[in-house]
Amino acid sequence: MIGTKSFEAIVNGEQVKLNIPQNLRLIDVLRNYLGLTGTKEGCGEGECGACTVLVDGEPYNSCLLFALQVQNKNILTIEGLASYNNLHPLQESFLEHGAVQCGYCTPGMLLVAKALLDKNPNPTREEIKVAISGNLCRCTGYSKIVDAISAVAEKGVKR
Amino acid sequence: MGVEFYKPQKLEDVLDVLATKKGPLKILAGGTDLMLDIRNKKYEVAGIVDINLLSELKNISVEGEFIKIGSLVTFTQLANSTLLQERVPFLVEAANSVGAPQIRNQGTIGGNIANASPAADSVVPLIALDAICSVLSPLGNRDIPLNQLLCGVGKTRLASDELIVEVKFKLPRKITRSAFVKFGRRNALAIARMSVAILLGLDGNKVNAARVALGAVAPNPFRSLELENMFLNKAMEEIDVDEVIARSSMVVSQALGNRPSAKWKNEAIKGLMRQVLSKIGIM
Ligand SMILES: Cc1cc2nc3c(=O)[nH]c(=O)nc-3n(C[C@H](O)[C@H](O)[C@H](O)COP(=O)(O)OP(=O)(O)OC[C@H]3O[C@@H](n4cnc5c(N)ncnc54)[C@H](O)[C@@H]3O)c2cc1C
Ligand code: FES
Ligand code: FES
Repeated sequence: MIGTKSFEAIVNGEQVKLNIPQNLRLIDVLRNYLGLTGTKEGCGEGECGACTVLVDGEPYNSCLLFALQVQNKNILTIEGLASYNNLHPLQESFLEHGAVQCGYCTPGMLLVAKALLDKNPNPTREEIKVAISGNLCRCTGYSKIVDAISAVAEKGVKR
Repeated sequence: MGVEFYKPQKLEDVLDVLATKKGPLKILAGGTDLMLDIRNKKYEVAGIVDINLLSELKNISVEGEFIKIGSLVTFTQLANSTLLQERVPFLVEAANSVGAPQIRNQGTIGGNIANASPAADSVVPLIALDAICSVLSPLGNRDIPLNQLLCGVGKTRLASDELIVEVKFKLPRKITRSAFVKFGRRNALAIARMSVAILLGLDGNKVNAARVALGAVAPNPFRSLELENMFLNKAMEEIDVDEVIARSSMVVSQALGNRPSAKWKNEAIKGLMRQVLSKIGIM
């Protein structure tokens, strides 16, 4: 098609290949082309972190990335966190600790938490706060989210 | 929408795209400024030139008496560099002061410079260090001092087919102290933002080199020789803190003239100066 380009990447472990308009944002490809609507758009300006995804294991705001910018990279969205019939330990812990209210911030929070624990399995509360500092939550007041993440760290559950 | 996305693999290819493809073209580093500028229609673009495949622009190195930082080095890389932590901690502090981990992962030093915001955080310590930018165009390489490259709010002397390859500065001597402080979030009104970077070289207890740079006071960050002179050739305990603070307020007043922000910024600088002096161990 005129004006489009091929976009290839590994999304949640699967190779994808699509033709997309060249100035499309990563968040639009995820939500509108791949149907991965777990990635939320809050501000659309890099301020809230609701659109966070992991690119090669590190958190990025998918509203600030051009899809073609992450060509051939490894992308993890919230849909790729759990296995088919088991929640991820972080997801279990968020539920147990009441760290989810409206849920809008939750996908982003879980992904920054995963990125943190993958690198640093035993973070302090301070380190957890830094890791989630790019993610806004209007509901929980954050402390339950920090509790939920540190509980997983203490159990030493990986991944 | 006819935007072409180019992804050159080598520096020569970047130059080739910049020289031959239909413009206006914009270089894409992290995209944290560019994405929003394009979406807010700040300018028209016909093509986006993504330079992220140029891994040679992602290194921090020492060459002779210079530290060289590739233009694609991110705030996260600056913050994690042990070399920078040891020799220019105030640049690390500036990188860490950038709001969110996601932005630190994505935003680059080259983009911070080229975007030419009055408050660009990494630029304030870089100005204090008299940093020099190496830029490349089809005509060749040139070095241009950062304070000349920047020429107004959002303005640089880069030609449209020119890119910043790296930024470099002389390695400060081992015995220096430096600090960076700022207040105001990025999206706060311009009036509510300001930053200070300071670096002192010490010979025993005596200050033999002094750099003081201010951000968000003028169109671009600048060094204040007037303030630097108040530290030079003094022993640490001889530095008159109250006088430095009073003078910093005058410097800010002069720089802002009769702009409405002057009245409050020349007060606010006093607190900021007190903070930076205490961080560097003078009070
Ligand atoms: C939510 C949010 C928070 C932010 N917080 C801060 C903050 O606290 N402090 C701060 O200073 N900034 C902040 N910024 C602004 C921005 O992140 C920085 O200015 C960043 O350094 C820009 O780098 P980039 O790589 O993303 O640039 P890009 O967006 O890719 O590029 C910016 C501009 O520079 C040009 N450019 C980029 N690289 C080159 C090059 N090598 N040669 C020539 N031209 C080039 C581009 O064409 C474009 O015009 C923030 C932005 C957002 C969205
Ligand atoms: S939607 Fe991307 S940061 Fe808010
Ligand atoms: S749970 Fe509602 S925004 Fe966090």
